[in-house]
Amino acid sequence: MGDTVRAVVVAAHRTVRGVIELACREAGVTVVERAETAAAATEACRSSKPELLVLDLELPDADGFRVLTDLGDGCPRSVLVLADRADGDLVLRALRLGARGYVTKAEGLRDLAATIRRVVAGERVMTPAHEKDAMGALGRMARRAREGADVEAGLTPRERQVLELLGGGFTIGQIASRLGISPRTVETHVAKLYRKLGVRTRVQAISRAATLGLVDL
Amino acid sequence: MNDTTSEDGRKSASPLGVVVVEPFAVVRAGLVRTIDASPGLEALASVASADEAMVVVDRLRRGRSVILVAMGLAGEQDAYWLIRALRERFPGHVILGMGANADPNAISRALFTGADGFVDKNVEVEEFVAAIQASGGDEVVIVGPAAASVGTIAEGIERRRSPTFRLTRREREVLVVASEGLTAREIADRLGVRERTVTTHLARIYGKLGVGNRLAALRLAARSGLVSISQDE
Repeated sequence: MGDTVRAVVVAAHRTVRGVIELACREAGVTVVERAETAAAATEACRSSKPELLVLDLELPDADGFRVLTDLGDGCPRSVLVLADRADGDLVLRALRLGARGYVTKAEGLRDLAATIRRVVAGERVMTPAHEKDAMGALGRMARRAREGADVEAGLTPRERQVLELLGGGFTIGQIASRLGISPRTVETHVAKLYRKLGVRTRVQAISRAATLGLVDL
Repeated sequence: MNDTTSEDGRKSASPLGVVVVEPFAVVRAGLVRTIDASPGLEALASVASADEAMVVVDRLRRGRSVILVAMGLAGEQDAYWLIRALRERFPGHVILGMGANADPNAISRALFTGADGFVDKNVEVEEFVAAIQASGGDEVVIVGPAAASVGTIAEGIERRRSPTFRLTRREREVLVVASEGLTAREIADRLGVRERTVTTHLARIYGKLGVGNRLAALRLAARSGLVSISQDE
C-alpha cells in the first residue's frame, strides 16, 4: 500500500462522474482530473499520467475507445470501462485496447468501489456473461481471419487490385481505364471474384470482402 | 474405447468422445485415464502423431467429438498443421490445443489455424475436464494463465491477417534489405545469394502482397510494421 493511486475520471454526465468519484474515494483512490469528452480525457491522461482511468464509453465527441487508441502505449496501467451495453465485440475490443475491467452502468455502478479496488489490484473484472460473450467474439474473429486469409490466398494479384478498386466505389469502366485493360477483362475478373467470395452481387462482394478484412471501407 | 455407435439413439446420454494427440506416452496415458474417469467423457483413442490422428479421426463413427492436440507435436506435421488439417477435413469436431504455459502468440496461431480453444496442462484436473466439457459451443475456451491475455491473443490473430505475415523468413529479409533502396544486385551481395534468386524472391513477394512493384510492396510492409520507411525531412 502506501502510494496513493491517482485516477482520471471520464464521463459525459455529471451524475455518473459523481458516482465514480464517490466510488474512487471509497476505494482509496485520488481523483486528479475529470473529463467530459474524449479529447479532454486523452489530454488529461497525457498530462497527469494516472495509474487508473475510469472511462465511460458514451462520450459526446467520440466513443471512449478513441481515448485508448489515441493514448496507445501511454495508457494508464489500469483501465476500467463503463458502458451502456456490453456485447461480445465491445468487450473484446476493450480487452484488446488494454482495459482490465468492463462493467455496464445498469449493473456495475452499485459495487463500483469494490470493482475499482480489484482493477487497481491487477484483476480482470467483468461478469461471467460478458466474459463468455467476449470469448464468442474471439471465436468469430478467428474464423473470419482464417477465412479471409484463405480467400485472399486464392486471389491473383490482378483480382486483388480489381477488388480493391471495387471497394473504392469505382465502376467497371473506371477500373478498366485505371488498370489499362478492357472492361470485358475487368468483368471476367469480377465474375471470378464473386465466385471466390461466394457472392452474387457487387454489394455482397464488397461487404463480404470487408468482413473478411480484404478491403477497408 | 470400443465403438459404441449408440443404438439407443439418445444422443444426450452418450458420453462426449475425446481423442488425445500427445507425443509423450506417459502424459498420453494419464490423459486417457483422467478422461475415462470423468463422468460424461470417454477417451475414444490416443495417438502420438499428426498422421495417426488423421487416420483415427477419419475412422470415428461418432458425432461431434473433442480432439485434444498437444502443441508440442514436433516435426513437419506439427500441431498447427494438424489443427489446420482437422479443421478442413472434419469441420464438425471440436479441436482444442493443449500445452503448458503457452505464450499468447502460440494460442493466437492455434485459434487462427482452426482450434476452438486452448487448455493449459498446468491447471487442476477438474478445471481441465470442465474445459473439455464446456468446449463445442460458440465460445472459444481458454483455460489456464493465458485466459488473462485474451486481448493480446485477439491482437495476435489480427496481426496474422496482415499480408506480410505470409512471407517466408527469407522473403522478409529480402524485403527489409530492399527497403534501403538497394538494387537487386546489391541485395544479392548483402545476403550472399545470386541476383537471380533475389529477383525471384521479389516477384514472389509482389505476388503474395498483390502489388505490382517494389514501392507498393514497401508501403504495405511499412503499414504492417515489417519495415520502416523514413519520412525524409
